[in-house]
Amino acid sequence: MRKIYIFFLLLPFSIWSACDKSNDPSRVVIAGGSITEIVYFLEYEDKLVGIDVTSNFPEETSEIPSIGYVRALSTEGILSLKPSLILGEEDMGPPLVINQLKLTGMDLKIINEDRSAQGILEKIECVSKILGITTQERLNKIKNLTRDINLLQSIAKKNEDKDIRIMLILNMQGTSPIVAGQNTSGDGFIKMVGGKNVASNFEGWKPISSESIIAYDPHFIIITERGMSSFSDIESLSNTTALKFTNAAQLGKIYSEDGMAMLGFGVRTIKTALNFAEIFSK
Amino acid sequence: MSFFSLEQKWFKFVKSSQIKLLAFFLIALISIFFLSVTLGSFDFNLRDLLSRKSDSLDSIVLFEIRIPRVLLAAFVGASLGISGASLQGLFRNPLADPGLIGVSAGAALGASFVIVVGSSFFPEFIFGTFILPFSAIIGASFVISLLYIFTQGFGYQGITYMLLVGIAVNAFASVGIGILTYISTDSELRGLTFWTMGSFGGSSWQLIMPALIIISLTVLWLIPSSRKLDLLQLGEPEAYRLGVDVRRLKFKVIISSAVIVGLSVSLSGMIGFVGLVVPHLVRLLGGVNHNYLLPGSALLGASLMMGADLLSRILIQPAELPVGLITSAIGAPFFLWLIFRIRKS
Repeated sequence: MRKIYIFFLLLPFSIWSACDKSNDPSRVVIAGGSITEIVYFLEYEDKLVGIDVTSNFPEETSEIPSIGYVRALSTEGILSLKPSLILGEEDMGPPLVINQLKLTGMDLKIINEDRSAQGILEKIECVSKILGITTQERLNKIKNLTRDINLLQSIAKKNEDKDIRIMLILNMQGTSPIVAGQNTSGDGFIKMVGGKNVASNFEGWKPISSESIIAYDPHFIIITERGMSSFSDIESLSNTTALKFTNAAQLGKIYSEDGMAMLGFGVRTIKTALNFAEIFSK
Repeated sequence: MSFFSLEQKWFKFVKSSQIKLLAFFLIALISIFFLSVTLGSFDFNLRDLLSRKSDSLDSIVLFEIRIPRVLLAAFVGASLGISGASLQGLFRNPLADPGLIGVSAGAALGASFVIVVGSSFFPEFIFGTFILPFSAIIGASFVISLLYIFTQGFGYQGITYMLLVGIAVNAFASVGIGILTYISTDSELRGLTFWTMGSFGGSSWQLIMPALIIISLTVLWLIPSSRKLDLLQLGEPEAYRLGVDVRRLKFKVIISSAVIVGLSVSLSGMIGFVGLVVPHLVRLLGGVNHNYLLPGSALLGASLMMGADLLSRILIQPAELPVGLITSAIGAPFFLWLIFRIRKS
């Protein structure tokens, strides 16, 4: 009988998006940088006993034991921290480890991801509910955030009418930039600020040739700070063959930004998006 | 030929010093097994656990998570060790390893396929957690059939021809993996990268049981060929004249290596250097006759793999290092030393 029971537990589950209150949120393990950001934002960080390596903001996170990379977790490692609750992003894995965690009867919640301003608010709401934070308390905490979101959305709306063409680069692979296509966090970010993603003809992050970049003709280029690290400054990046013939490079409209602050879709993404929306609206 | 007569034959061609060594390997294997089972990031008192016989988290971690994992590591290590030893014997080449005939690459291609486009092709609720190993085994079988067709049933064309076919098959599989890498999304790509570095994490009884049985049977089927592999070292025509059915021997060694390596790769990813290094280590310690070499490689391979997995679990706990990194980190310097030694002598 027990065998059958275990077999059913091992069957893969569909999307686990329960935001129900946890029975015991006293020892929390998190797999996913945006959730860690939210837990810090909600000032619940003293309950954290383990986080993954993508949880690198704020700086204090470095003092919390690391459970490894979000897609390569270890069952025993997580259990050794004796958590009472595990929160994860959708790409938490591998699936076998998640099955094992469920098998142990662990309270595991995988939080839905929607790459928009509204999605971030929903994520905060979901995490608050799980941690047992009252609606009133949450509304107090997100007061400034909702104001920023309203501002962001009004600017983004104006930006949309202006047909602002944006290209977002993750990093340079050799001489080809890795560009955000459809269905990426980069695409979500561009939409948030009211821009148009020039790379609309492919999905995912792909290396793009210099010729296609000239054809895309972006007005603005954003690159992550990590991608920037192989260049001394924006100027030397503008002079690479891949970028130098674009409008953006010639007019000096290339910006770099912290990758997680921009693409993590935690709390910081709102502020970053607001900054960029204002830059693009000028 | 009864099992008893095989036993007699086996003893005839193993020196007593080698039997002592094999006994030593066995003791090492058992000690490392117990060490691996007791050590890990999750702490518990073993004596407490055994006396209570509870259904607590402790016993779930031990019986459902750690023991299957350690067993899988042992069997994969034994598979890679023994297939390395028998392939080195068959190709009469000390640098042969299970990757050479392209079976690992085929399994990797099958697994990559599932990681990247899997969920849209296979209905997940039917295959469940078996989907990845299942596809990897299909990939490995595909490579075996290709090898079989191109060598006309591992026929008379000689060993070099088969090695060249293996190289072509490897190249073909890497093209497939390359295409999958290109069309993968960011997160699938990460999954792929970690998979190729190997891990025993996530093993469950349901997943490993079929593999453990098949691997054991294949190893038992392979070991009686040891003496024939010895004779093959004299050269193919000579072995043939001494009464070895060379074609059958090739068939047996290649099929069994392909099966156990395909299974191993499908359950644990790509784990480098064990298949290459372990047989050399066993030869250095005790001698080159295959009656000793094959069981020795299986035992030592299992011990080393459990040791490597133990390191991967405890070095950076609570996180985990990919086990392939550890085996390669230990194996690569040894390999260099080996090349250096061969050049000198």
